Amino acid sequence: MNTTQGAGTGPVRTARSARVVIVDDHAIFRSGLKADLDPSIHVVGEAATVEQAIAVIAQQRPDVVLLDVHLPGGLGGGGREVIAGSAALLTTTKFLALSVSDAAEDVVAVIRAGARGYVTKTISGAEITDAVYRVAGGDAVFSPRLAGFVLDAFGTAPADIADDELDKLSARELEVMRLIARGYSYKEVAKELFISIKTVETHVSAVLRKLQLSSRHELTKWAAERRLL
Amino acid sequence: MTTVPARPPLVRRGDRFLAGVCSGLAMHLGWPVRNVRVAMVLASLAGGAGVVFYAWLWIMVPTADESARRQARRPASPIAPAVSREPVPASVPRAAAPAGTGASLGGPGAVPPGVADGGRGVDAAPPDARGYASGGQAPGHASEAARPPWFRFREMRYGKEILLGVGLLLAGGILVAQLLGVDVPLGTLIPAAAVLGGASIAWMQLDETRRAGLVDKTKADQAGGWARLAAGLALVVAGVLVMVSGSGSWEQTWLALLASVAVLGGVVLVLLPWALKFWRDLEAERAGRIRETERAEIAAHLHDSVLQTLALIQRRAANEHDVVRLARAQERELRGWLFEDPGKDAGQLSDRIKAAAAEVEDLLGNAVEVVSVGDAPVSEGHEALIQASREAMLNGSRHGGGTVSVYLEASDGRAEVFIKDRGPGFDLQDVPEDRLGVRESIIGRMNRHGGTATITSTSEGTEVRLGFPAAPQDSTEGKP
Repeated sequence: MNTTQGAGTGPVRTARSARVVIVDDHAIFRSGLKADLDPSIHVVGEAATVEQAIAVIAQQRPDVVLLDVHLPGGLGGGGREVIAGSAALLTTTKFLALSVSDAAEDVVAVIRAGARGYVTKTISGAEITDAVYRVAGGDAVFSPRLAGFVLDAFGTAPADIADDELDKLSARELEVMRLIARGYSYKEVAKELFISIKTVETHVSAVLRKLQLSSRHELTKWAAERRLL
Repeated sequence: MTTVPARPPLVRRGDRFLAGVCSGLAMHLGWPVRNVRVAMVLASLAGGAGVVFYAWLWIMVPTADESARRQARRPASPIAPAVSREPVPASVPRAAAPAGTGASLGGPGAVPPGVADGGRGVDAAPPDARGYASGGQAPGHASEAARPPWFRFREMRYGKEILLGVGLLLAGGILVAQLLGVDVPLGTLIPAAAVLGGASIAWMQLDETRRAGLVDKTKADQAGGWARLAAGLALVVAGVLVMVSGSGSWEQTWLALLASVAVLGGVVLVLLPWALKFWRDLEAERAGRIRETERAEIAAHLHDSVLQTLALIQRRAANEHDVVRLARAQERELRGWLFEDPGKDAGQLSDRIKAAAAEVEDLLGNAVEVVSVGDAPVSEGHEALIQASREAMLNGSRHGGGTVSVYLEASDGRAEVFIKDRGPGFDLQDVPEDRLGVRESIIGRMNRHGGTATITSTSEGTEVRLGFPAAPQDSTEGKP
């Protein structure tokens, strides 16, 4: 999973900086992640439980929250509950889910709660830095595995004109998802499809929106089979 | 009753005078046939007892043919089978509840053959069915536990016959005594017998419950148990009432019944909280035991896998390559254990691709990430696809030197595999003719089996695209 989504675009944005809160119940992982992140990213707070996380996020109002999917405390909802508890800040604070879990229900649950992306914990420091900036800029971050989940949930047949636009991916979106699932970075996707990186980002954001909002029958069924809804 | 010597089973034999009863009985008891016949005739003279006995055996005892047919279906003969042949658990159901109850109920009051026959008739069919049903199960404890507890009594195998015999003897004795002019206090004996019978039914239930550990029972078993308990209780109450009231007057009996039910209700009311608490304690203990078992299983798994791997990693801490490889292998194993859906069909295409990826990871140490969408059962042509994928993963891992991304998209009609690495790339034209890895193992193999293989390589990485079977129009992407 440590494929480099958007590798090579990071250096362009080094002039920027971002304020980040790390939410994870493992202190070792938090300190490791802090050491890995680019110096331009300022970690302004840490939290280990759902309650701490909601409090720290409300107090610090960071640009990005790096959020573990599985967290102790609260009502047992983990990362999903943190996002729900910080719903008022969703316009200014973006959430990027971090997980060691491969389970589709974990991943898609936080995405549907409002996270802007999902990466695994084995991702490298440069990659996570890039992902943080991408999320802070309002884009979505898809790992190959999340793209695989999306293709699984929405099916691999493109939408007809008649379909509800939320319920299926367009042919272009399918192509983008397939390439991401194959390990392509955004830049590589853009090159492969002869479109701009901005367009790729637009497609990915559109897919993320569909994943969050769609009540598509198959998606519901798919989610229910994985005890998601 | 386990000391019964080995005897031939009781069947009606071919060398018959009337119905073959006497010869069969003689064979079974090991007596001369003549003696048996004489005894039967003598018994017939004594008030027709011999005739009744003969008729009963005629009805009850199967002929040798029938018995053989039954034995073909069931290991043991239905009536007092020879214990020399240890029956498979499937035949244990002999101590069936209905017959036992019938014997106790009818016990003292001279069981007419019809009643006994009824009980037998009811019970004759089900054991066969059960024999069939449990024939498919593994013999031994597994199938033993799967059966309702009242079928589980080994010791009770002849209990029904013995109860029946005791009852008949008692009834016979009473009849004979009355014939001889002795005044038998039937008014006392019948209620007493009812009390004894009811109590034994209820106690048998308790015994079973204890045997089943009071816990591992299904609802259906409990319902049967409750019915038997209620029947026993009713018998005991009725017996006690009749005995105490001392008269057959219905009014008095009804009054007494009312009073006793009221008293019983009061007792139940008082004891109920204790019973409930007892039950809850049992349930809690049971739940605790299940949790403990689960915890032990997880601990065992972690010990066998994770702890061993951690120990290995500490010993090899100097060798980064080994550490990464061990960690990856352990991660894969643990993920499989935690997240795999046990209900999913094993051996699907995605499983095979993942297994190939794991193999390559183990071999070369670089991570191979597999993302799969859809799935399909593995067909013959898929084997070539899997082998070619494996070869491509090996190449990617060896020459790319980093993570290899594998994407599988499969449906029943078509499967595609993409293998991408981020190595320096190569030009297929530059590969020497004698190097068969790419040309033969990937491209040649796929073409031979009716699939396609294309390789795109740039300085930023290489991607191998495999498709099976060949698509009508190749790949929707910009490049072929």
